Amino acid sequence: MNKLGKLGGTAALAVAVLATLLPLYWLATLSLKREVDQFAVPPLWVSFQPTWAHYSDIFVNRNFGRYLWNSAAAASVSTLLALAMGTAAAYSLARRPRPGLAFWILSTRMFPPVVSIVPLFLMLRWAGLLDSIAALMLLYTAFNLPFVVWMMRGFFQELPPDLEEAAMMDGQTRLGALWRVVLPLVRPALAATAAFCLVIAWNEFLFALIVAQTDQAMTLPVGIAGRVTQYEIKWGAMSAAGVVAMLPVFLFAALMQKHMVRGLSLGAVKG
Amino acid sequence: MTQIRLERLSKRFGATLALRDFSLDIEESEFLVLLGPSGCGKTTCLRTLAGLEQPDSGRILLGERDITGLEPRQRDMAMVFQSYALYPHLNVFENIAFPLLVRKLEAPEADRRVREAAARLDLAGLLERRPRELSGGQRQRVALARAIVRRPNAFLFDEPLSNLDAKLRVDMRAELKRLQHELGVTSLYVTHDQAEAMTLGRRLAVMKDGVLAQVGPPEEVYSRPANQFVAGFLGSPAMNFLAGRVDGGARRFVSGALAVPLTAEHLERLGDGAPVTLGVRPENVEVERQSGDGWLPGRVWVSESMGNENLLVVEAGEYRVRCRTAPEMRLEFEAPVWIRFRPDRLHFFDTSSGRALWP
Amino acid sequence: MTARRSEAGWLAWTAPALLVLGALSIYPLLFAVEISLRTAGGYGLDHFRRLAADRLFLVSLGQTLLYTAAALALEFALGLALALLVNREFRLRRLVRAVLLIPMLLPPVVVAVLWRLILNPEFGVLNGTLRGWGLETRGLTWVAAENTALLSVILVDVWQWTPFLFLLLLAGLQGLPVEPFEAAVVDGASRWQVFRRLTLPMLRPVIAIAVLLRGMDLLRVFDQIFILTQGGPGFATETVTLYIYRTAFRFHNFGYAAAMSFVLLAATTTVARAFLRLLRQQPA
Repeated sequence: MNKLGKLGGTAALAVAVLATLLPLYWLATLSLKREVDQFAVPPLWVSFQPTWAHYSDIFVNRNFGRYLWNSAAAASVSTLLALAMGTAAAYSLARRPRPGLAFWILSTRMFPPVVSIVPLFLMLRWAGLLDSIAALMLLYTAFNLPFVVWMMRGFFQELPPDLEEAAMMDGQTRLGALWRVVLPLVRPALAATAAFCLVIAWNEFLFALIVAQTDQAMTLPVGIAGRVTQYEIKWGAMSAAGVVAMLPVFLFAALMQKHMVRGLSLGAVKG
Repeated sequence: MTQIRLERLSKRFGATLALRDFSLDIEESEFLVLLGPSGCGKTTCLRTLAGLEQPDSGRILLGERDITGLEPRQRDMAMVFQSYALYPHLNVFENIAFPLLVRKLEAPEADRRVREAAARLDLAGLLERRPRELSGGQRQRVALARAIVRRPNAFLFDEPLSNLDAKLRVDMRAELKRLQHELGVTSLYVTHDQAEAMTLGRRLAVMKDGVLAQVGPPEEVYSRPANQFVAGFLGSPAMNFLAGRVDGGARRFVSGALAVPLTAEHLERLGDGAPVTLGVRPENVEVERQSGDGWLPGRVWVSESMGNENLLVVEAGEYRVRCRTAPEMRLEFEAPVWIRFRPDRLHFFDTSSGRALWP
Repeated sequence: MTARRSEAGWLAWTAPALLVLGALSIYPLLFAVEISLRTAGGYGLDHFRRLAADRLFLVSLGQTLLYTAAALALEFALGLALALLVNREFRLRRLVRAVLLIPMLLPPVVVAVLWRLILNPEFGVLNGTLRGWGLETRGLTWVAAENTALLSVILVDVWQWTPFLFLLLLAGLQGLPVEPFEAAVVDGASRWQVFRRLTLPMLRPVIAIAVLLRGMDLLRVFDQIFILTQGGPGFATETVTLYIYRTAFRFHNFGYAAAMSFVLLAATTTVARAFLRLLRQQPA
């Protein structure tokens, strides 16, 4: 590896990192700038007077606290449900393979969501569940189930059945063996899968857009989108809302980074 | 086909010093075996020669050329890896042809050479197969074919037989030796297996902890080891060692309850009272059922019948002495025996440094 | 425990998942079939017939394919380049990888809002910086101009989703065995030859999966276009999903929208199937 090549490579990586971080940094500065600074030309990168006005604006005046809560509730409940049901199904499919069933479960991920939005809308309206967070919890559970099954089945397949069989010889039921012996072993896999489910649910837009009719069931993405019209965007509010929407993801990425990468790559490489 | 010179190579990996000031010459067309226990640095030495590792200090000379700074692909050496390192997505033909292809050799010429190499290693019928469809022995022959298909400056072997089962290993050993002899390419062969070490090389180099312990023809290294490590490493079962002292007055070597008579020459070389360690190989320990003059008494600790010989461990004094005997001599546990060390096959080492004092 | 009892036991483990998926993924699909076939006088293929003549639909389909092809090509090339760069050993490697992954984890809506702000022709930081360097930006209206809208939207997609391909390709690279690469350099191959003859062929399965997954997601793109351009200006960035949404929830034409979504489903499945078949034919 010659010196010039190495230098070029490092430079390229530096450019990539900058290209990734600069826009995010910009958004953060926008959220903290006074209106007059936001429109300054040439743009101000560092030298401006920060203000929290936009953050207080979105939470006090524009109900973003509600959206935040809705997003968090929908994401966490659906993740828990998807994990519970998906792991059970994945375990069963790993130990007693049923290729047909597995194919059906996994193929539901392939459907374009847009195919289901019309019938789902009609179904929810009929059931009186429109504009409710419960609807989103259900939808996101269904959304994440195939993914959970796919990931966890792979991990269970890697685990030899010897341990559960030993536990059952020692007197456990199958469920007890799963709970006490197997699950602790696949904890990192569960963590990675949970992290992904949370991120996917948190970021989801189309279904949330369909379900939400009023502020009651609005999630963060929909709340933000709703403020974006053809003609005018409130820059301060939007950037503050954007930062709020992004922060949990950052936190998660930082905490779960190692697990997520390992989990996704293992799942993908095994295909 | 040139002489290779490794001059004072040093290489460190983190806290470990894999090579310490290591020097070795490989003659033109010679087959040199590098032997040593795991972790002694022999693989590092080989990879440094290949260019896969860069030494921290020292030089590598190919003939007159200093190749220390050169990349592997500029050195024109061929390497046979322990795990064969075949290209999984190419078939046998393409694997063997790869070195020629990257040198942009003309297709008809490349084709001819590949088939010639394949024929030589009995692979003619397998050219369309993929590595995963081959057995271990077949893969190994493909790796060899890939090495011989060009005329490189040197062959580098990294324990190529260690993943084969025992019988195959013995067969391949003979084939390898024959092959190298026919091609006449300078070769460095790394192994931890002594049978390979003894049989394959014209010279044998023993390595320990990054340093060269001894180099010479196998018979010489076997019968005149330069130190206790080499003496104990070569030979199976291993040489017996008894630490003790020279008793000049009684003209004998004393170790615990055992005493072995010494000649005048012995005494002169070793010195009275010197702390020495006696070494004697199992094949040089004589075992009899009745006592004789100067023989040592003992009891059979373990007896293993190998078919062509018996391996005995005899408890004599506070030692357990390994012996090899004729197959007819069948002995039971605890049977009383007498042993004697052949006086003309004794080795003596300085107890503290391990250096050989005799022969 | 009889064999039949244990079979039932195993099925019970999958029951909750099957129930949820059945109700919320499969049933809606069947329901959608029904809706798409509902016409004024009972059932019929009216919607589909209308679809075949709908020029706007075909345009949106064409734009979707163009969008997919362009974004995929760029994301693959950049993702591969990044994966190769990050695959070497160097300090801060973990950190760099973590940073590069961030965009794909962000809500697409937020990313779209962010870039809409950046690309704002008058006050956005992109034009602002260009102007600061003395360049003329009057003609550069990015998402507001017909000829640059699609490009801008594609670039936003590339910014957000290159990390996805980067991640998969990096995982693939790291899963490759080391020894054949050592053998290749000893055999005399140059860096380019190693890349072309070893790296790429051995990566083929991972590349295929990556391209397939991302390709299918691209065909269904919605979130960022909704925010960035709403399909405009005019029809310049209208993708199929956007058209379907508009038909269903602006014009309240559920039947027609359902029919369209099936065509989309058919298109995606066909592409996926063709792709997989192509993959299986070539020697792995």
